[in-house]
Amino acid sequence: MAVPATDKNSARFLRVPRLALKHREAVEAWLFVSPILTGFLIFFLGPLIAVFFYSMTEWNLLTQQAAFVGMENYADALSRNPDFWHVVRNSLIFAAGLVPLNMALALTLALALSRPFFGVVFFRAVFFAPVVTSAVAWAIVWKFLLQNEAGAVNQILAVVGIDGPNWLREPDWAMAAVIVTRVIKMVGLNMILYIAALQTIPRDYEEAARLEGASNWQIFRMVIWPLLAPTTLIIMVITTIGSFKVFDHIYLMTGGGPENGTLVLAFYIYEQGFKFFNVGYASALAMIMFVVVMVLTIVQLMLRRKDMQ
Amino acid sequence: MTSLTLSNLEKRFGNVEIIRGVDLTIKDGEFVVFVGPSGCGKSTLLRMIAGLEDITKGSLYIGDRLINDVQAAKRGVAMVFQSYALYPHLNVRDNMGFGLKVRKVPVEERQRRVKEAAAALKLEALLDRYPRELSGGQRQRVAIGRAIVGNPQVFLFDEPLSNLDAELRVHMRSEIASLHKRLGNTMIYVTHDQIEAMTLADKIVVLHDGRIEQIGTPRELYTRPGNLFVAQFIGSPKMNIMPAAAITLKPAGREVGTGAAHSIGMRPEHLSVVAPGEGMLRGKVVISEYTGAASLLHVALDNDETCLVTHDGPAPAADTEVGLEIAIENLHFFDREGNAIDGKAIAEPAPLP
Repeated sequence: MAVPATDKNSARFLRVPRLALKHREAVEAWLFVSPILTGFLIFFLGPLIAVFFYSMTEWNLLTQQAAFVGMENYADALSRNPDFWHVVRNSLIFAAGLVPLNMALALTLALALSRPFFGVVFFRAVFFAPVVTSAVAWAIVWKFLLQNEAGAVNQILAVVGIDGPNWLREPDWAMAAVIVTRVIKMVGLNMILYIAALQTIPRDYEEAARLEGASNWQIFRMVIWPLLAPTTLIIMVITTIGSFKVFDHIYLMTGGGPENGTLVLAFYIYEQGFKFFNVGYASALAMIMFVVVMVLTIVQLMLRRKDMQ
Repeated sequence: MTSLTLSNLEKRFGNVEIIRGVDLTIKDGEFVVFVGPSGCGKSTLLRMIAGLEDITKGSLYIGDRLINDVQAAKRGVAMVFQSYALYPHLNVRDNMGFGLKVRKVPVEERQRRVKEAAAALKLEALLDRYPRELSGGQRQRVAIGRAIVGNPQVFLFDEPLSNLDAELRVHMRSEIASLHKRLGNTMIYVTHDQIEAMTLADKIVVLHDGRIEQIGTPRELYTRPGNLFVAQFIGSPKMNIMPAAAITLKPAGREVGTGAAHSIGMRPEHLSVVAPGEGMLRGKVVISEYTGAASLLHVALDNDETCLVTHDGPAPAADTEVGLEIAIENLHFFDREGNAIDGKAIAEPAPLP
């Protein structure tokens, strides 16, 4: 009789602690992820659901009256309100200008600053400094620099005989000016990402290519650039998303003008929600922006995967 | 003519002198191995020949052409890197054809040459694979294939086998040897593995601290090392070195002096175990390591030195007293500066008066 009892005991010894350990590991795992999970639920998923809900209401913030209108706000934006497509067009122009310019400049700087030379840290710091500068200060300073006649930019241009435009007051120039100042502000971040990626590429590849007769350009095009592809994709995604979300520069430098020439989606959403208090409509616009950005990201990731295969 | 002449070659990185005046002639078709411990400058010397490092001083000729300032790609050399340096985004075919593509060789010829090299290295089945899909040995072969395709005058190998496991290393070693036989090109091979050096080389260049310690055939380096460093570097397990004063030489039973010799070298494989009291040395076995083919005995000598002995047959147990014998002709004599001196004059007993 003693034998089965021992078996039973040993079985319990074997099984119970193992289950308990598994359980304990699971609890620990959840504890570790709980801070980020809590943050995600409260600050991301919660508001997202709320905005989706608001987007189906006609809600005036001033009168605090809300009425369920279904997909009316979406229909308004997509088919009835001509402003919406103008704003989308502006956002696309902004992204189309900013993303390639930012990436090309970031890569050029990274190629120049990825190898050690005297003063390299100084130059990296110089180009990265705007990233950590207050966006408000940056925008205000550039607004001064880009003033019509008193602005430093036009005064410098005048020295070489160029009569600079009134950058932020002329519809054709305002968008370009905002894009360029934004690029200068943010290019450091992408530069650092590219430098990090370049430093992971073994010197051997370049040396092997050089021994085989490749020129600098061939080494870049046939070896370095393909190996940078994963980084390029990440940079493209985050820069595109960032460009769709641009708000501070527009708010501080042009206020969406002149003649709505720089009225981009994020700023338009702000105006609708907090200037005209059309919370429902603004929420619908925000949902549309969310979907557009998500689709763009998915498309870019799919292209990359196809490229990898 | 693809001989190479290195004349008083020097390399400095800032204040650090890496190569301190190297003179060397490599004949057409020769297989030369640079060997030496880590940091001796052997890879730097190879990279200087490749054109990947500038030459600080001295001159470097390939054939009759001074190539100090010739671009790497125009020197007619190809290099196999330790890391293989296969481009991860290109398949085997494109990796091998890369050099031809950048040199704008027509597609048909490119394909033909890649195919030929692939056939020579048994890589045909792998042409569409990517480097990540290949084993270490296959990657190594692709790297060699890439070098062959360019039809270089001189092949440079920078520790090409050090990332492979022991078995594969032996196999690839023989492949490289047969490749040299087939192509007949001049090859320069860098390694820190003296077995690789011994088995592959027509000529070994032993480097130490940026200088050449000795140049010679594998047999010369083994049988007549020029100094203490080479004596201990070539041969495994390494040569035992004893102070000459601690040893009594008794060739043919007669005692002779050690002359100008300051130290004496004995290779473990040349020592044999005899009964205690017999032989030139006497000591106690401390450890006996069984290595399969033989045993490696660590013998503590009466003069407080430890001596390694390669011993065939049943090994004496630890703490056994043993005598050690060695043939006079297998002794190596070195002077106070560590340079080899001719042992004959010393070890040959003076004629009886």
